[in-house]
Amino acid sequence: MNSDVSIVLLSLQIAGLAMALVIPIGIATAWLLARKRFRGKFLLEAATTLPLALPPVLVGFVLLWATGGNSWPGRAVNSLFGVDIVFTWVAAAIAAAVVAFPLSVRAFTSAIAGVDSRLEVAARGLGAGPLRVFFTITLPLAIRGILAGVLLGFVRAFSEFGATIVIAGNIPGRTQTVPSAIFTRISTGDDSAVWRLAAVSVVIAVIALGAHNYLLRRSDGEAGKASS
Amino acid sequence: MTHNLLRENGSKTGSAKTILEFDVTVNRPEFSLHAAGSFGSGITAVFGPSGAGKSTLLGAIAGSVKPSKGHISLFGRTLVSTSEGVTLPPERRRVGFVYQDATLFPHMTVEKNIAYGHRLTPKDQRRLDPSDLAELLAISGLLQRRPSELSGGEKQRVALARTLATSPELLLLDEPMSALDIRLRGIVLGYLKLIHRELAMPMVYVSHSISEVLAIADEAMVLEQGRVKTFGTARRLLNQVSTAEGDAGDLTVDNILEGQIVESHTSGEPGKVRIGRAELTAPTGHREFGEKVVVAIGSQEIIVATERPVGISARNVLAGTVASLDGDGPRRMVAVDCGAELMAEVTASAINELDIQPGKDVYLVIKSSSITVMDAFRD
Repeated sequence: MNSDVSIVLLSLQIAGLAMALVIPIGIATAWLLARKRFRGKFLLEAATTLPLALPPVLVGFVLLWATGGNSWPGRAVNSLFGVDIVFTWVAAAIAAAVVAFPLSVRAFTSAIAGVDSRLEVAARGLGAGPLRVFFTITLPLAIRGILAGVLLGFVRAFSEFGATIVIAGNIPGRTQTVPSAIFTRISTGDDSAVWRLAAVSVVIAVIALGAHNYLLRRSDGEAGKASS
Repeated sequence: MTHNLLRENGSKTGSAKTILEFDVTVNRPEFSLHAAGSFGSGITAVFGPSGAGKSTLLGAIAGSVKPSKGHISLFGRTLVSTSEGVTLPPERRRVGFVYQDATLFPHMTVEKNIAYGHRLTPKDQRRLDPSDLAELLAISGLLQRRPSELSGGEKQRVALARTLATSPELLLLDEPMSALDIRLRGIVLGYLKLIHRELAMPMVYVSHSISEVLAIADEAMVLEQGRVKTFGTARRLLNQVSTAEGDAGDLTVDNILEGQIVESHTSGEPGKVRIGRAELTAPTGHREFGEKVVVAIGSQEIIVATERPVGISARNVLAGTVASLDGDGPRRMVAVDCGAELMAEVTASAINELDIQPGKDVYLVIKSSSITVMDAFRD
């Protein structure tokens, strides 16, 4: 039982760090996709959706190749902190972030696109620069959709298995998450232990998705339309 | 209540003085605008059908549209000069913009909406105080409300206050009435004139409604297909447009007449207004006896009858003579002299059936509620 609690806590910690990475990068990406026209936009669109379409195991392999001891990011981290990130909980968080990113960005993009851009134009006309417009107009009006995207990304990050096991392994107490612990217990035939973790997974997913649906339903009516 | 709204550097009045000069070309694949002019410190209307380039010209002045060539200066300050390579960003032009729809920020109270631009205005440029503006525009009681709790006219007044709180040197209005019904238009027009008078605020007013232009503007520039067709006093514009046959397009042509209040009730009941030799029962509001007004009646609001109607709820039945018949489509303009000349829009089939022709005696039926009474052109 004790180990179950620590497995759940580690999973929450990994999903939390993953979302801390997804939120700023994802919102910036979504803003570009929703509000800007630029050359190569379709490439950015494809790149943000790709992890959704590929097998997570392959994503893990690509990440391993990109962050391993022989790659330049891997070497840079090693020389800065003196550690390899591969097979650490941070690596698990990176894997979870990459897999959760497309889901969150999709939700962020539609939330930002739903804000009436004339309000942003009006704010510019009142003397606000682009960053101020974003933080005082766009973000507050898109906040429900963005929170919904965060919840969706969080449950995806929490359930991540394929990419995680490749880049972070399944080391009890260090990188063993709820899904990888379930995998281990299935292999060893410990069914009752599987059901305990399964219950936790279901509870977290139901709470997060329920909140997600509630937020989207609430934002439907008042998605930052100009009050004319 | 409106004293002291202007601090010293705000009194840039002087009627004939040119404050805005421009000569701009905007080239787009499907459209080009070339317009030059100099606007005074009064209210200048930019008038023309949809697609004439009115909003593009306003955008060039405000900074949302980049001219391909030309210059714009405001109070001698260069806003744009393509030959000198100068293009000021919108936020440094000190030009205020009020849009067709109020575009109020829905997540902020009225008070925060008004404060938004005021806080971003450098302290030494602030000469209009938000609470004074709220009082002037009669929205002080609405400050804690959300935009969704306001009526159309209130929204537009809040939008006006929000823009004025940035202390602009010039106010641009892009069809600010188009989302309002005719009764609210009169009220908002009254506020615009009040703002202009109290704050000495020069305005450029884009509209495709002649009645609005006449009610508010001193001068008017008529744009057509991206070119300046005429520029002169607003009165001259009326004559030109109303005499041009079938040229009205989507322009709103109303009966615009100067008149005087001859009866009014403090209770707010309809009073009487005299136009020429005709007297009309009309909503005179709280205007006083003898006050000069402008009366607008839509030509579609007037019914033509060949016999005096009896037992009718409409308050105005005027006897007159048909002066002329205009137009050759299914809808014709009948000009009737009934002590004042009024234009009524009538279908071609009704003209045939009633045998309407110049010289014929007719009666005009007008509901008092279809008459709009506005303040006189200017003091």
